[in-house]
Amino acid sequence: MFKYILRNMWRRKTRTILTISGIVVGIFALTVLGGLSARLTQQVNGAKVWFSRQINVVPAGESLFGGAGRYLEISKVAEIEKVPGVKVAVAGIGFPRENGGGFFGPPDLIIGYDLSRSERSAELLELLQIRDGRNLGEGDQGKVALGATVAKKLDARVGGMVTLKGRLFQVVGIYQPTLSTADSFAFIEYQDALDLFRAENPYFQIRDIAGSINVLPEPGVDLEELAARIEEQVEGVKAISPKEAEAQISQFSLIFNSILLGIAFVALLVGGLSIINTMVMSVSERIYEIGLKKAIGAETRSILFEYLVESAMIGFLGGAIGMLLGLLAIFILNRLTQANQVTVFAVTTTVVVGPVIFSVILGTLAGILPARRAAGLKPVEALKGD
Amino acid sequence: MIKIENLSKIYRVGDIEIKAINDLSMTIEKGEFLSIVGPSGSGKTTLLHLMGCLDVPTSGRIFIDEVEVSSLSPSEVTRLRREKIGFVFQEFNLLPVLNAVENVELPLRYQRVSGRERRRRALEALSRVGLENRAYNRPTQLSGGEQQRVAIARALVTQPVLVLADEPTGELDTANTCKVIELMRDLNRETGQTFAIVTHNPMVADYTRRIVTLRDGSIYSDQAVEEKELACEDGDLGI
Repeated sequence: MFKYILRNMWRRKTRTILTISGIVVGIFALTVLGGLSARLTQQVNGAKVWFSRQINVVPAGESLFGGAGRYLEISKVAEIEKVPGVKVAVAGIGFPRENGGGFFGPPDLIIGYDLSRSERSAELLELLQIRDGRNLGEGDQGKVALGATVAKKLDARVGGMVTLKGRLFQVVGIYQPTLSTADSFAFIEYQDALDLFRAENPYFQIRDIAGSINVLPEPGVDLEELAARIEEQVEGVKAISPKEAEAQISQFSLIFNSILLGIAFVALLVGGLSIINTMVMSVSERIYEIGLKKAIGAETRSILFEYLVESAMIGFLGGAIGMLLGLLAIFILNRLTQANQVTVFAVTTTVVVGPVIFSVILGTLAGILPARRAAGLKPVEALKGD
Repeated sequence: MIKIENLSKIYRVGDIEIKAINDLSMTIEKGEFLSIVGPSGSGKTTLLHLMGCLDVPTSGRIFIDEVEVSSLSPSEVTRLRREKIGFVFQEFNLLPVLNAVENVELPLRYQRVSGRERRRRALEALSRVGLENRAYNRPTQLSGGEQQRVAIARALVTQPVLVLADEPTGELDTANTCKVIELMRDLNRETGQTFAIVTHNPMVADYTRRIVTLRDGSIYSDQAVEEKELACEDGDLGI
């Protein structure tokens, strides 16, 4: 049966190959973008875990990702700590490790945390799991704890030295990979960070400032309620609860996934129409044969099945080839960016299987109309070639 | 075997009514070897299509083995066609993407006969038409006469009680016409299967045992003829 359908497809080689090529292009794009989206999802999920156990307080009007260039007075830390339910508030400041940033993926960030205010401050970094060495703690001036990716990039070992913005730091710990942006963070003491920042921005007359303040709750305190309380009691701040953080992160990835969906839709439209066209032509060309088959006893459903399978097969071939080419592109691009310790694309089961299933369904759906036409032909009309 | 009662088939082309078959009644007994002849447009092919349940009459009834065809559902008609009737058409009888034996297997496939049994029976049918050594050739690699013999093998492979042939020799030269007619007559004698052959070739009709002549959709004459012996060796019909 399949042999027969394949031979039928091959009767018009050029047309079949062109139709399949159309689907290959769409599915190729879908696979590559799927790989990009899968990587983004990994980062988003990692970020969600990081933000799920704390509140991020930022200047009013800012989002989780900054952008408006505002800073908080360091005095806000004390104000926030007075809010009932707050266990500890840690001032933080972050800026890119290298100017210019990464072309692919997020830039590496230097994050300075004010761990000196209380011994509880260090709990913040316990949200990340240490792989080698120890966490950054109080009084760790001149020391650094590195995310997995940035550690690899700087070829860092615990006890060794790394250079950040021209200054040497001793590595005290390296964190487990989280697959999120935290992997590209270099955590140092707040004062060190401020010094680096000032050294780079000599005309920026700043006093003690914070980009954001990370808040950990007392045990059993609801983070959503606490966030609302902070906004109510501290002026000029925005307290981002885990729920809101998740919403902001999701919105960020939503834009990307919308693009992906758009591409999928275009692939659907172009691929689907070209399959319909090919199948309608095939049915027209084989009308007499369909009549013959019906005359010698083919049932309506076996004709229907035959054309649906042929159409699904075109979808499958286009999908499989497109997916394999997409994987090849992902492999090559990942290899090229590996030099910078950046992984742009992730390959998951969905990335591999999704586009193929998608194109088989597409092929089958596109085949319904022509197959129904073929199956519905009256034998005598088909034999006359009407 | 086949009983046709007051059969009519009317086509409408715009406002014009065309009576392809006009109040036709006849009976065909089991084991007959008959031809249906007549000028173009006399309704030969339409009658054959109606007898083969490929088309639906406007009025009248057809009984095949005492079953009235118009009482059957579409899928029952398909089954009846598959099990009781074999077809041979004028040309393009074979599917081009299948080789000879695969073409012969096709009706068995629709009967859901298992692969091995299918192949065995198809090869047997091909050897009965003398083409066992051409089993794996595609239609394009076969001559017109060979293609028609493959079509006959396909019509016979399900052992139908009735074989309907529509101008089976229409595209063949005299030598091949002779061979095809001889083959059908031999099969009719050996198996007792009923053959109804539509032809406009009077020589073909001459070698059947009953000639039904149609004119304007009705029977003009219906005569039994004496059987003639065929001599195909010298490449003609012996006339």
